[in-house]
Amino acid sequence: MRSASWAPERWHGGGTPLPPVVRHLGTDDRSSSRVRVVDATLRCIARFGLHKTTVDDVAREAGVSRATLYRLFPGGKDAVVRAVVETETARLFSDLGAAMGEARDLDTLLVAAIVGAARRLSSHAALTYLLEHEPGTVLPHLAFSGLDRVLGVAGSFAAPFLGRWLGPDDAVRAAEWAARIVVSYLACPRDGVDLTEPADVRHLVETFVVPGIQALALRGPEGRVGAG
Amino acid sequence: MSADRTDPASADPDGPGSADNPDRTRRAAATRLRILQAAYDCVARWGFSKTTIEDAARAAQVSRATLYRAFPGGRDELLAAVVAWENARFFGRLYAEVRDAATLEEVLELGLVFAHRGIRDHEVLQRVLETEPELLLGKLTVEAAGTQKMVAAFLAPYLARAPLAPGVDASEAADFLARMALSYISAPGRWDLTDRAQVARLVRGELLGGILLPATRPAARSG
Repeated sequence: MRSASWAPERWHGGGTPLPPVVRHLGTDDRSSSRVRVVDATLRCIARFGLHKTTVDDVAREAGVSRATLYRLFPGGKDAVVRAVVETETARLFSDLGAAMGEARDLDTLLVAAIVGAARRLSSHAALTYLLEHEPGTVLPHLAFSGLDRVLGVAGSFAAPFLGRWLGPDDAVRAAEWAARIVVSYLACPRDGVDLTEPADVRHLVETFVVPGIQALALRGPEGRVGAG
Repeated sequence: MSADRTDPASADPDGPGSADNPDRTRRAAATRLRILQAAYDCVARWGFSKTTIEDAARAAQVSRATLYRAFPGGRDELLAAVVAWENARFFGRLYAEVRDAATLEEVLELGLVFAHRGIRDHEVLQRVLETEPELLLGKLTVEAAGTQKMVAAFLAPYLARAPLAPGVDASEAADFLARMALSYISAPGRWDLTDRAQVARLVRGELLGGILLPATRPAARSG
């Protein structure tokens, strides 16, 4: 069966350090104020975009003083924006991680990851505004070296989950591949392929992705068929 | 000069062509091409943000009026056209490299290798990506759907000749392969597209593993 589940292989790669982004979500007061500023910034961006959003807009929306905001983010707007990206990335990975952790086979895991990412990204108010009105802020991350970085982050995040079935190299490559699919179909939609629909994604995963991963693993690192 | 005053195009030797005047059409096309080449040269030298209509007109040795006739949308239309033009030339050069490929595997391997090299060695592209990527990426995004369709259409005959795995629809596979190929060309990720063995593994394993019949999946070339 081309889409047969894989017998789990234990990956003894040791613990994977959490990406630095996750450390920003803490529970102390300073942390929760930072999160309040981040969420306020997201609301501002969703309403009038990144360029027009000022530190004062954010402070007002977050219910903090300018002074407090600069204490939390000495780097000003740039630091706030960096924190927004890190926090939203961490939240995305947290959601996806929950779904991926529950998956009992490779196909289901990939479907859960792709559908989850597509749902979150396509319903993200700030991101949607930027793509529509300020594409220059987002597009550099969807092509060339910017996309390489996004794939790298996605790969590092998802690889440990895929490591239940794949060796570490193939796990990273498969994770990158899933990220490519999300970027491609969201940026350039195709009639009949809705990445937020599990049935559509399962078709893609079972037809193209899992057989490709299986073929990769059969080939081994040197590319010779049958090599370990 | 034509004496027909009701036809504004007739007073203009480089104006829009018409079916009744193939010479005018040819001249208009030649002028447009000259302007595109000159504008591209300006971008190559100074970048997008510093290239003005006047620069392009001077480099093409045409008047501003002539340039606006060819590109009524002005600078924005001209720069979009330059991107589209070089995009088309890039794929034209790529086509020359892959046209002799006999099989789907070969065309994808050659395509990935040469396209990656073409992008890496494209000085103007690399400089623009480094210094002012937003305008270029915006225009390329507009081109993306068309480029994808073009690559899928190019792959279609190879897919038609290939032994497909059961349940694989050729047009869906063409679309998928085109998306993935363009994605890998743009951003190779962890794959080294200068390493032929890795390219073989990527193409014959990952990309075609689900598309071709297992029994006929070819072994990778050694080395």
